[in-house]
Amino acid sequence: MKISIVPALKVLRPAALLVLVAVVGLGVGYWSNATFYTDTSPEQPIAFSHQIHAGENEIPCMYCHTQADRSPSAGVPSVSKCVGCHNEVATEQPQIRLLMSYWENREPIPWIKVHDLPDFVHFTHKRHVLAEIECQTCHGAVETMDTVRLARRNIDGTAQYDHTWEMRLCLDCHRENEVENGTDCWTCHK
Amino acid sequence: MPNIDRREFLKLVGAGGVGAGAGFMLKESKKDPTEYLIPYVVAPEDFSSGIATWYNSVCSMCSAGCGISVRTREGRAKKIEGNPSHPVNQGRLCGMGQAGLQVLYNPDRITEPLLRTGERGAMSFEQITWEDGLGQLAERLELLRAARRGNNVCLLSEGTNGHLAQLFESFMRQLGSNRLHHYDFDHPHTLYAANQGFFGQDHLPYYDLQNTRLLLSFGADYLTNWISPLHHSLGFGASRQRQEEERGRFVQIEPRMSISGAAADEWVAASPGTEGILALGMANHMVSQGVYQGADRAAWSAALSDYSPSMVAEQTGVSESTITRLADDFAGTQPSLAIGGGAAANHSNGVDMLVAVNVLNYLAGNVGREGGLLFNPQPAGTVSRPHQASYRSMLELAEAAQQGEIDVLIINGTNPVFTLPAAAEFREALDAIPLVVSLSSFFDETTVLADLILPSNSYLESWGDNFPEAGVGFRVGAVSQPVVSPLYNTRATGDIILSLAQRIGMSSTIPWTSMEECIKDGWRRIYEQGDPQTLAQGFEEFWISLLKAGVWGETTTGTTSFEPDQNIIADIGVAAPEFSGSEQDYPFILHPYLSPNFHDGRGANLPWMQERPDPMTSVVYGSWVELNPTTAEELGLIEGDLVDIESPHGQVLAPVFIYPAIMPNVIAMPIGQGHSEYGRYAKDRGANPLEILSPQMEPITGNLATSATRVRLVATGRHIDLVKTSGTSRDLGRNIVQTTGDEGHEVSDAGLNSIPITELT
Repeated sequence: MKISIVPALKVLRPAALLVLVAVVGLGVGYWSNATFYTDTSPEQPIAFSHQIHAGENEIPCMYCHTQADRSPSAGVPSVSKCVGCHNEVATEQPQIRLLMSYWENREPIPWIKVHDLPDFVHFTHKRHVLAEIECQTCHGAVETMDTVRLARRNIDGTAQYDHTWEMRLCLDCHRENEVENGTDCWTCHK
Repeated sequence: MPNIDRREFLKLVGAGGVGAGAGFMLKESKKDPTEYLIPYVVAPEDFSSGIATWYNSVCSMCSAGCGISVRTREGRAKKIEGNPSHPVNQGRLCGMGQAGLQVLYNPDRITEPLLRTGERGAMSFEQITWEDGLGQLAERLELLRAARRGNNVCLLSEGTNGHLAQLFESFMRQLGSNRLHHYDFDHPHTLYAANQGFFGQDHLPYYDLQNTRLLLSFGADYLTNWISPLHHSLGFGASRQRQEEERGRFVQIEPRMSISGAAADEWVAASPGTEGILALGMANHMVSQGVYQGADRAAWSAALSDYSPSMVAEQTGVSESTITRLADDFAGTQPSLAIGGGAAANHSNGVDMLVAVNVLNYLAGNVGREGGLLFNPQPAGTVSRPHQASYRSMLELAEAAQQGEIDVLIINGTNPVFTLPAAAEFREALDAIPLVVSLSSFFDETTVLADLILPSNSYLESWGDNFPEAGVGFRVGAVSQPVVSPLYNTRATGDIILSLAQRIGMSSTIPWTSMEECIKDGWRRIYEQGDPQTLAQGFEEFWISLLKAGVWGETTTGTTSFEPDQNIIADIGVAAPEFSGSEQDYPFILHPYLSPNFHDGRGANLPWMQERPDPMTSVVYGSWVELNPTTAEELGLIEGDLVDIESPHGQVLAPVFIYPAIMPNVIAMPIGQGHSEYGRYAKDRGANPLEILSPQMEPITGNLATSATRVRLVATGRHIDLVKTSGTSRDLGRNIVQTTGDEGHEVSDAGLNSIPITELT
């Protein structure tokens, strides 16, 4: 007896187009999420603008991120730090009122992390700041951003960093600057 | 191309939509979860995120009083290390000290004040407020005080020293009670009594292991738990690393090889309880050979005449040649040092045995000399040494409770229901006490029987201070400061006592409102007695520098001169040890030893300690009973066979472990496991040998003779596999460990087989 799967496939023929369309749809959905919903610029609980603070008013980065030169983490300013100025400055702005409501309830502002390294990377701000690496080298021109976003590679490939943190970016810089043990696994993964 | 009708079209749109949605969600699920940056509302002043802050404090895991440096981040304790400036441990820290973090973060901690609702021991408690708990207790105390029945209040604490001990003292005095007891299972009562009797010193001397060239240890496991094990380990290491001629030699005399025995150059097994006789045999030889320091040859000869080496050899089972050789070595090596402790000191003749050790030191000229024993100066700050309750005092307490003389018992940090043998009937005594209050932060065997639990902070959350005992030859004190804010709704023991004092109206004599104030005030007094140079800097400055360093010292040393009283010389003598149980019915002597992992059982609720293989047997978790291979063979037992260990006072069940370095008539069990309560990590694991000890005492101190119980083994026919990391303790010709003999450098391939078991008879 001859066994064939053709009869079985014949039954499926009416559904073939349907499957094809669904697969194409899957790809479109995936692509559109990856392209348009990158979360590189999430909406923050308060629409804080680095452009106004660091750009127009030229407040130095380390005025708020005080620990960048002495700690692994640069530090997020405490709510009291914001209030310290905004008790006097721009008090009528709706976003500042929102800030004051956090302050009055003694609640922290749940900022969403934009620059997020994986947990298996041991990065320290202290070393990089002390080596006089500009903040913008990794964080992009934050002083021009109304909403902070991860910087993207340009169409012509001119930007030095992609919208994800990639190890080769660390390594390129470490090689270029001839960092001692800069390409040793244990330097960052420990 | 087939015709697409309306129905077909809608199907395709549907399929496309579902596909696109699925694709979208697929990508979404592959993204990292959103992470938040949560700022402080107000930035804390004492730390910055990401930067470690180190606090110097004092370890409270045992009574040695080592200095610790605790690494904290974001207000959380992360790692405990030794404080390099502290002279006791000089930057080192033992396993239990490291595991202090698991006291702080232990999931079984009592987090709220509790009041008993059901039967005693039924573990039914309701949560109450501090206000309520303290109020109830204060009311009770005040009534008793007003009725002049303050003596019906008893405060039973773990060993404390420093200003907390003083606070306890003045609190109890104000109540009109003289029932303040410090109770630690391993407190060396006999050592204190022997030094008091022979040297007339209230405090322990400093044993200078570092500079000695020959150490004779009579049963003291100085590397694991004797007085200040870390300090001794440092001394041992320093002595061992000197050049060949200068290098210290270490001889360990004990019936079962301890860690110190394994590390020693020579291990001598004397019959249990005859160590003191051995010491006097050596003293006899030294005097008869005329190789000793001091006068009164006639007095010494008369006192030691009963201890000729031949007679001593017969009693101790140590050969005459070994006795005379060790005695000649001890007298001829300068400086040398003899110490005694452990099981040897916990016999019915414990004090006499330790006096005999002091005699050896005196005769060899080791008293008051570098490399020998040096007297400590009076510690700063403490008025008197806190009263330590012996076994006899605990029996008296139990008796008083049974007579209805105790109305309120306050227990702080000690666990007598676990560490006292069942024969003491302490648990039954608690039933006769109307109000039992526990300040413990764990449900240990004693705390589960309490009516009111006022949980205290862990030591990492409390203020305190410590004056190490034994000291290091000069005055040392250390302040213990909280390294984190209390994790739960608990309070420091000192603060609990202070708020009780306040409620009862003792503020004229106990004026402090917090333990921090009390400690600071105490240190102000120490500061004021200090040298002018310190006084010049001002107290605040002194206090800050003290907190930063975590330790304070003064170069004051103790007296160096000593001459023994004639009457004392005439009284020297060590009687044969007494054992409970007849040799016929109970052929073995039980040798319980403090486990390096759990100490007296307090470490059993720390998972790190449970996971750490025992250094000598490599067994993890559980208990075991150590048998000499010949004994095991006679009884037909192999490793893992479950046996009942029966004494005249009860029985415990444990698997057999074959241990070559133990006398054939001795069986050993580690102390520390066998908890019936004490949290998830300790509960129902192993067996507690203390339960079956006979209530034999040393007559002078009332110290429990923990090594004086005879037992028999009854095979149950059951078998388990011991959890352990090593296969066999024997070399089996694999040439793993090469050893060299004393004479020349012949290499022997016998490895561990070369343990001199010829001495075992």
